[in-house]
Amino acid sequence: MKIFSESHKTVFVVDHCPYMAESCRQHVEFDMLVKNRTQGIIPLAPISKSLWTCSVESSMEYCRIMYDIFPFKKLVNFIVSDSGAHVLNSWTQEDQNLQELMAALAAVGPPNPRADPECCSILHGLVAAVEALCKITEYQHEARTTLMENAERVGNRGRIICITNAKSDSHVRMLEDCVQETIHEHNKLAANSDHLMQIQKCELVLIHTYPVGEDSLVSDRPKKELSPVLTSEVHSVRAGRHLATKLNLLVQQHFDLASTTITNIPMKEEQHANTSANYDVELLHHKEAHVDFLKSGDNHVGGNSREGTFKETVTLKWCTPRTNSVELHYCTGAYRISPVDVNSRPSSCLTNFLLNGRSVLLEQPRKSGSKVISHMLSSHGGEIFLHVLSSSRSILEDPPSISEGCGGRVTDYRITDFGEFMRENRLTPFLEPRYKIDGSLEIPLERAKDQLEKHTRYWPMIISQTTIFNMQAVVPLASVIVKEAMTDEDVLNCQKTIYNLVDMERKNDPLPISTVGTRGKGPKRDEQYRIMWNELETLVRAHINNSDKHQRVLECLMACRSKPPEEEERKKRGRKREDKEDKSEKLGKDYEDKPWQESERLKGLLDREKEELAEAEVIKDSPDSPEPPNKKPLITMDEMPTVEKAKGPMSLLSLWSNRINTANSRKHQEFIGRLNSVNNKAELYQHLKEENGMETTENGKAGRQ
Amino acid sequence: MPTVVVMDVSLSMTRPVAVEGSEEYQRKHLAAHGLTMLFEHMATNYKLEFTALVVFSSLWELMVPFTRDYNTLQEALSNMDDYDKTCLESALLGVCNIVQQEWGAAIPCQVVLVTDGCLGIGRGSLRHSLATHSQRSESNRFPLPFPFPSKLYVMCMANLEELQSTDSLDCLERLIDLNNGEGQIFTIDGPLCLKNVQSMFGKLIDLAYTPFHAVLKCGHLTSDVQVFPRPEPFIIDEEIDPIPKAINTDLEIVGFVDIADISSPPVLSRHLVLPIALNREGDEVGPGITDDTEDENSANQIAGKIPNFCVLLHGSLKVEGMVALVQLGPEWYGMLYSQADSKKKSNLMMSLFEPGPEPLPWLGKMAQLGPISDAKENPYGEDDNKSPFPLQPKNKRSYAQNVTVWIKPSGLQTDVQKILRNARKLPEKTQTFYKELNRLRKAALAFGFLELLKGVADMLERECTLLPDTAHPDAAFQLTHAAQQLKVASTGASEYAAYDHNIAPLQTDFSSSGAERM
Repeated sequence: MKIFSESHKTVFVVDHCPYMAESCRQHVEFDMLVKNRTQGIIPLAPISKSLWTCSVESSMEYCRIMYDIFPFKKLVNFIVSDSGAHVLNSWTQEDQNLQELMAALAAVGPPNPRADPECCSILHGLVAAVEALCKITEYQHEARTTLMENAERVGNRGRIICITNAKSDSHVRMLEDCVQETIHEHNKLAANSDHLMQIQKCELVLIHTYPVGEDSLVSDRPKKELSPVLTSEVHSVRAGRHLATKLNLLVQQHFDLASTTITNIPMKEEQHANTSANYDVELLHHKEAHVDFLKSGDNHVGGNSREGTFKETVTLKWCTPRTNSVELHYCTGAYRISPVDVNSRPSSCLTNFLLNGRSVLLEQPRKSGSKVISHMLSSHGGEIFLHVLSSSRSILEDPPSISEGCGGRVTDYRITDFGEFMRENRLTPFLEPRYKIDGSLEIPLERAKDQLEKHTRYWPMIISQTTIFNMQAVVPLASVIVKEAMTDEDVLNCQKTIYNLVDMERKNDPLPISTVGTRGKGPKRDEQYRIMWNELETLVRAHINNSDKHQRVLECLMACRSKPPEEEERKKRGRKREDKEDKSEKLGKDYEDKPWQESERLKGLLDREKEELAEAEVIKDSPDSPEPPNKKPLITMDEMPTVEKAKGPMSLLSLWSNRINTANSRKHQEFIGRLNSVNNKAELYQHLKEENGMETTENGKAGRQ
Repeated sequence: MPTVVVMDVSLSMTRPVAVEGSEEYQRKHLAAHGLTMLFEHMATNYKLEFTALVVFSSLWELMVPFTRDYNTLQEALSNMDDYDKTCLESALLGVCNIVQQEWGAAIPCQVVLVTDGCLGIGRGSLRHSLATHSQRSESNRFPLPFPFPSKLYVMCMANLEELQSTDSLDCLERLIDLNNGEGQIFTIDGPLCLKNVQSMFGKLIDLAYTPFHAVLKCGHLTSDVQVFPRPEPFIIDEEIDPIPKAINTDLEIVGFVDIADISSPPVLSRHLVLPIALNREGDEVGPGITDDTEDENSANQIAGKIPNFCVLLHGSLKVEGMVALVQLGPEWYGMLYSQADSKKKSNLMMSLFEPGPEPLPWLGKMAQLGPISDAKENPYGEDDNKSPFPLQPKNKRSYAQNVTVWIKPSGLQTDVQKILRNARKLPEKTQTFYKELNRLRKAALAFGFLELLKGVADMLERECTLLPDTAHPDAAFQLTHAAQQLKVASTGASEYAAYDHNIAPLQTDFSSSGAERM
């Protein structure tokens, strides 16, 4: 792929000399009489376009197709030549659209047949074209600036399409010589200039056009290298639709386009609205969209005529969309399209259908066999794209399911909460540049990353790892504390939340922790609140460096949780609360080392242990996790030494290992295989052997595959 | 990307190798040893790779079609007979057919050619193929370059000195050149022995079959993952930027977008993102298989019970119908989404967009995407009923803006008919009449088609004379006015033929604002 190939810059040079005002001698009936009004009226005489009109509308059609398919980085400079050169636009992207060109052409108007032919020449235009090719485009400039010392990698190539009426082959040669000489001269100039670039390669496409019915004085000539810099080709074409056809072929050649005909498009008849007929619409697009057909040389593609290389079109069948559901297709390429016959009724019906937001799948017509959907037409923001869908076998077929891998057996992920998180962290375009306080440009995407960092400072992944995120009462605080800056109102809300929690504690309201982890009695209420307060503190501490207001929330939290008189009383009862708080405070301070994850993981494991005991009560929020295989608790609650039973200063580790040991020793009993095993190996499917000796071996084989 | 192993089973592969020790080895044994090592590696670390085995001499045969069952491949290695001479061209042609039949032309494949560097004699030998390369027609095209993206690895059961003593190495290098330089030749360092064969295949494994490990990050939430198949480096523009770009091993989520908004974007490649558990030694536990199955099972069970961010992300992406945009490198992005293989199985997938600042025109520049909280009001609406996407392009495409094309007479006739139809419904259709009239006028001026303006003016005048008695009197006024305006424009005189000028309806006593006139 090269950005700066010949098709980066195209210069149109259209002859505006007096003889171009001549008629193309192809008549157009424009007064088509409508039925039932025809009596006695003679239709107006047909009119005919001039050579100029034919040239201009054909070159506009070339540009239309090009702009449709390549709205950027493919540029046109339009020059009209008579007694001088009139450059109608520049290489800048703003000048690259049909409206600009049409307005400029209208200002030029048709050639004046009464002007002095001696002062008029196409040469003025050709010289101006070479000059234009030396001028740097904004894309070339940008590439040179970013490449710095490698700026010489930026190529400068271009194409000149010259539509004129030449007198003879030697006249054509004279034009070619002139272009070659001019390139030579301008390259010398450009060598000493920062604003100009030397032309490395120029393709001259000379189109000689003449009225229908006349003999051509100029012969066709295929592309020929005139010098290392210049190649030239000559096309001798009759005016009228022949010229338009030629330019249509050239735009396909120059921009590597290919044609697809959508067939079987059902459409309401204009006259009889209740009947529908099938139509075909031909579209142009980059030929990469046919890469599968090109490479495999597939001949099943219909309508593929070998003769006349450019009449080739690939036929694809319309599949009427059944639903409006949004699906993510595996799409290997998307290419902008342009209808060949943009104004025809079938074309505009198709494009309007797509522009209204519907997508259409396209099927390869096959003589036999299964239906193969290979493409999709879809519009995005008023632009229609031909999507190439992968129709070959996937190399990723039959992958291991996510539930079989790491973390796949966990059943209480906070799927809904993370969905909410994702919606809050959706992206939106910021087209106006924004500036930071220090005046530097702010990159919106960096802001997005920043926000993700803040929002995930404390984010437990599973329900049993958290208390506060299972509490509706904490939401007002949790939703604003992650913000970069809080308003006074936010702080007030946080404080209210904290007071509310204090209130709940005083009223001895139950917390969600008790119902998640255990059946029957959970940890005692005050223990629950201690866990909750600790977790809340971890969350708030993770954000205290955001602003002073965040700090104020922490202060409020600390003040509230250490003060209540009930708490004081409980402390007297011998709980070593203070120690633990100090510890958790320390942990909270350097949240960036993610100590919470460590402690939470431990807690999570503990909790999960409980959860295994009471899996029936677990909130199943993970759609891909399998159903717990055995809902019956392995051991009963009474036998479990639970957290709340432990008295005195007991470390978390000893709690944990005690529990694991007890649990494991009980679990072990259940493995009869292991009890009966020899050298730790037990024979499987013994009963099958007893029942049916033959089948066992077969099963064994199947199992290995 | 699938692998085709192409094994030379010509007689020259049975040449004995001098090895100290009791057993006598042939080159084919060395080859089988090397391939065994490759298959074992794949079965352990790269087990989702599809591999096929082709053997060839003067003929070729597909021994094992594409499979992930490395036991079958292994078995086939021990069941190979010896045949006649080496005929590489037909074997490569066979590879073309096999790959295209199975995968089409778009999926990249790796071809591992195992040979001893004896390239055959006479017709069908590589020398002969290369000598006649320039005189080929389209019908008997040389199979290289392969019609699909490919890497050709030549594993020579010979050392460099041996290959250089003939022109074998040159021929093989030509082969790689013909495949657009995609591939590499491996030779045995030092004497031919099992150890050196192992080290040669080790190099191939390092180059082509090392699993790609990365860390998936979303702020502080992270997960170690394997990305399969390995993402390959990509060249953006061979002229401006010829250095291949590789993706980061930190895959950083930058934000989320609805599936409807991302809208089936074109991607370079798709990859499974498999969470892995790295233990202290840095070996993975998870998709890999360790020798001790019991250990593995218990390790897998433990890993399965530790909450993993990938699973959480996958679940939420699936439920919400969203994708996560992920940054893969400087100006390179991709997306993560849930992909369902069947009703039950689904997976976290990553697709890579083409590198560049704006891979999807309908999302705009990636760097300009920011958090919705920075916007004045939520661009998704309070009830989640809006979307800031797709972005509208600055200029409309031709099919969206009612352009005028008169290349076919029917285009011109339709436009004239529209004017005429509206002319007959004046004054009700005054607005549309003038709209169509002005559209025609503009195009005619741009194309320098002044004769048409005159023609349409004549036509309108005629319509005026044909008006029935019942016609509204305003119709005649408007028709005459329009005709007259077109006539003056058709002179091309600058004061009447200005492109931006529009013919306005004549203000008459009959029109609503008539009272204000004079």
